[in-house]
Amino acid sequence: MISRRSAELGMATVTAVFGGLVAYGATEFGVGWSPSGPEPGTFPFYMGCVIVLASLGNAATALAGRLRGEAPFITAGQARSIARFVLPILAFVPLALVLGLYLATALYMAGVMIWQGRYPVWHALLVSLGLPLALYLLLERGFQVNLLKGPLEAALGL
Amino acid sequence: MENLGALLQGFSVALTPYHLGLMVVGVLLGILVGVLPGLGAPNGVSLLLPLTFTMNPVAAIILLTSMYWGALFGGSTTSILFNIPGEPSSVATTFDGYPLAQKGRATEALSFAFLSAGFGALVGVVIITLLSGWVQRFALKFSSPEFFAVYFLAFCSFVGLGGAPVMKTIVSIGIGFALAAIGMDSVSGSLRLTFGLDELIAGVSFLVAVIGLFGIGELILTIEEGLHLKGIEAKVRVRDVFRAMAEMPRHWATLVRSALVGVWMGITPGGPTAASFMSYGLAKRFSRFRSAFGTGEPDGIIAPETADHSAGTAAMLPMLALGIPGSATAAVMLGGLMIWGLNPGPMLFVERPDFVWGLIASMYLGNVLAVVLVLATVPLFASILRIPFAIIGPAIVVVCFIGAYTVGSRPFDLWLALLFGVLGYVFKKLSYPIAPLILAMVIGDKAEDAFRQSLIMSKGSMAIFWSNPLVTTLMLLAIALLAWPMLAGLLRRRA
Repeated sequence: MISRRSAELGMATVTAVFGGLVAYGATEFGVGWSPSGPEPGTFPFYMGCVIVLASLGNAATALAGRLRGEAPFITAGQARSIARFVLPILAFVPLALVLGLYLATALYMAGVMIWQGRYPVWHALLVSLGLPLALYLLLERGFQVNLLKGPLEAALGL
Repeated sequence: MENLGALLQGFSVALTPYHLGLMVVGVLLGILVGVLPGLGAPNGVSLLLPLTFTMNPVAAIILLTSMYWGALFGGSTTSILFNIPGEPSSVATTFDGYPLAQKGRATEALSFAFLSAGFGALVGVVIITLLSGWVQRFALKFSSPEFFAVYFLAFCSFVGLGGAPVMKTIVSIGIGFALAAIGMDSVSGSLRLTFGLDELIAGVSFLVAVIGLFGIGELILTIEEGLHLKGIEAKVRVRDVFRAMAEMPRHWATLVRSALVGVWMGITPGGPTAASFMSYGLAKRFSRFRSAFGTGEPDGIIAPETADHSAGTAAMLPMLALGIPGSATAAVMLGGLMIWGLNPGPMLFVERPDFVWGLIASMYLGNVLAVVLVLATVPLFASILRIPFAIIGPAIVVVCFIGAYTVGSRPFDLWLALLFGVLGYVFKKLSYPIAPLILAMVIGDKAEDAFRQSLIMSKGSMAIFWSNPLVTTLMLLAIALLAWPMLAGLLRRRA
């Protein structure tokens, strides 16, 4: 279980670091005045500072303890169901980068349907082959939009 | 009167079989994304946008706006039949819509929702028709400082009226601006904030952000809450539709009040969600049957639906005339306009009257079409929601990632979409508002350019933002909105 307070503090830290990074990255391009107007880094620099300051404000609110009695950010049960959903996606993205979006889609759909949905294999095959096929017809044939392809498509000459 | 003439011209642009066909397709796709959990108007439009890059702008905007109307209607369908808001802006519709449907009056509940939504949308379009000429003439007086002041005003109204915690709204806006700054700087040509990563040179697309933040983030949230579909029989009985129609005039006060709330919240970027809640609250306060709210009171359906749709349509006015979108979906469309090579702002009315008035005319037609189509297809779309989540969930995930890839054919965008998905989930849970982030990403560059050009004009003096009555008024209004939450807090403590 993660309490609301730690989640708020964690998020404030993340946004503060992001803001700091933006402000730091902006200094590379100058943050002052040049003969041709404000230097390119000026606007992002001040935005970064605004993010850091507002994040500190959020952290202070969380520390001031006004959130006591709030429901927890996430319970163990919720975390489990989210993990069941997100972990396959974490596998899907690298798969798509290596095998292309069509094959990754088929594997991901079949995997989720068989292991999590407990569907019969033929059922899962039908959906997981049908969806990429439908997407192929719609996107590549209908709209001439090319998706990321992998070795399989290359072998098929698509 | 000149607006009326222009509108008639617009109808001649919009009323072609091709455009009408696009409206039907757009509305149906919109209802689909509105019905499906995780997909809503902003990311539905984002997913479709890359497919319109090669279309002509008039056809493209008709397709996208029709999808927007369809999504608003689809969101209400699931609110009423399944107690699941398909859209954040239809949350308030669940309060009375679902109870009324549970009483076996689903058709009436749906009819109330669709008819009042149609009414709200029409009020929104009429207001746009009447005001656009005036807003455009007003906006033609603008130069850089005024434009910056208007952008500033838009963001301050998010802080002041958005309803989310002030500091969190500011963080959200800041992140949006920072993300917009990544990549090539349009003024100096330098590559900013890339930290040596080649993937960041092209910048971070707001479309990928929308798909992640709204699409994947929303799905994770749905999973966490546990999806319970306790559906109600979705048959539409024609007799009940007419009964609801006959009852509508009795609710005229709610209709008019809610439409006005919606128009106001749409033009000032409060957005449809805030409008629907505010309107529900007002309807409850003014009702003679206050205690019946929450148990299936028709006013409790009519109020949020009218406001939701009038805000959705009215949000197009500042988008077209000033280049400031009034809702997250309008922000995505504004980005689309720029991608199609149009320059949103007052000059658009002068340069492309066919586009502007064709769009406005299509809003009349599209909304009428949407009411008819949504009533006719309720059983079909309700049956989609009965597909088990183990199939529909991953399918939506796949569509989101494919959509993210089609934006710029960049593999890196798949990782970005995932990152934004997780961020969207945490944002929602900790009540960080997402819409301001998107708005800042879309108009970030324009706001920054306006700021820099103003300072170049004044040789670095901030006094330029107070140099004439117009810009001063805008700035004062913005600061008043920014200070409003603090003032309201102080006043409450006094009382």
